Amino acid sequence: MASFRVLIVDDEPDFLETIVKRLLKRQVDATGAGSGEEALEVLKTQSFDVVILDVRMPGMDGIETLKEIKRKSPLTEVIMLTGHASVESGVQGMQFGAFDYVVKPADFDELMEKVSQATERKALHEARIRGTAE
Amino acid sequence: MLKISSYSIRRICLCAVPAMVLLLGAPLWVFAGPEAALLVLPVAGACFVAIRSLMKQVATARAQECFLDEQLIQSQKLAAIGELSAGIAHEINNPLAIIAQEIEWARLQFDGVTSDSPGLEEARDSLNEIAVQVERCREITHKLLDFARKRDPLIQGADLNKLIEDMAKLVEKESSQKGIPIIRDYRTDLPPIFTDPPLLRQVILNLLNNAVYAIQQNGAITIRTRIPESGQVEMVISDTGVGIRKEDLDKIFNPFFTTKPPGKGTGLGLSICHSIIVRLGGRIAVDSEPGKGTSFAVRLPIFHNAQKKD
Repeated sequence: MASFRVLIVDDEPDFLETIVKRLLKRQVDATGAGSGEEALEVLKTQSFDVVILDVRMPGMDGIETLKEIKRKSPLTEVIMLTGHASVESGVQGMQFGAFDYVVKPADFDELMEKVSQATERKALHEARIRGTAE
Repeated sequence: MLKISSYSIRRICLCAVPAMVLLLGAPLWVFAGPEAALLVLPVAGACFVAIRSLMKQVATARAQECFLDEQLIQSQKLAAIGELSAGIAHEINNPLAIIAQEIEWARLQFDGVTSDSPGLEEARDSLNEIAVQVERCREITHKLLDFARKRDPLIQGADLNKLIEDMAKLVEKESSQKGIPIIRDYRTDLPPIFTDPPLLRQVILNLLNNAVYAIQQNGAITIRTRIPESGQVEMVISDTGVGIRKEDLDKIFNPFFTTKPPGKGTGLGLSICHSIIVRLGGRIAVDSEPGKGTSFAVRLPIFHNAQKKD
């Protein structure tokens, strides 16, 4: 099975480090970014199946970053991670094309499940585009 | 057509049953005595009951047809409005982009200027406010385009209860602080459905958000899932909020219809929900009593049409 390419964006270094480690252990090709700006920088040179994105970050927040990611790479699926759930930002995030919302602290297996569903969706999307191109 | 048949059945009921009693009863009375004539009564009663149940069925069928007609008109109307507004949104986006660029340019000009002239500060404030309002317009045009976008759903298998639960958790943190618990009444044996999960999440979140808004403080939201008929699933989200006035019920799925104060809502939330549910092959219905609360029922097919083509 091809492994997923996942980018995790969170401003908490401890959280970021742990989750990247755990994902790598599960054979997920995981990369970490400490801010929205850094994530967009990484996305310029690499492509990912799924981005796991913290909603509340200093600087560019999750919603802004989501908008940019969806504009530059519409096929990449984005899972929003949120600690202080704000319904308003949830509604916005789904509107701007997020795949799902996960409330922190996220159960790791559940997160894996969502990553796999998001990857499936990306593959379906790509298959459809190939299908219409032929 | 149905109107006529319902009317004629009622007439049959009113005229034919007494006529039958007379026609059959009178000769029986004459030839076989009053006891035999009495036998006609239960027969007539049975006929009456049968005809009345038939009449009821016709009435239900008629109501259903009216309902489907209304749904059809509603979705056609929404599609037309969607196309129109997408056109407008597109046209407005271009000047908006130019305004945004000019703001940036003007800000750059101001950056180098140092003066204690109060006018300068005012101008800066004014520029900032223009930027905020441009962003607001952008959000509206974005939603409009989203509303009209004829994006085909991407169909994946999903567990409806799980999908709802994830969104309920997201809303619950905020709603519980306002004294609004979320009561779950999930049917545990729901079959997996084939649908577009992110689109459906968007609908669920919107409905839950509206429910919280309708209650404001202290109340309850109930989420129920069930199987209304084979091949379908249904979720019902009810709140104990302010309710919707009768005269507004017809309009709530119309784009731009909102009861929120200006600037608080675009009036696109429910129309987007409606268009999503239609695209998913389902339907959404509302029931409300002012002062008591509102409930939204979303019905979805277990299998999406797009799958059958594969």
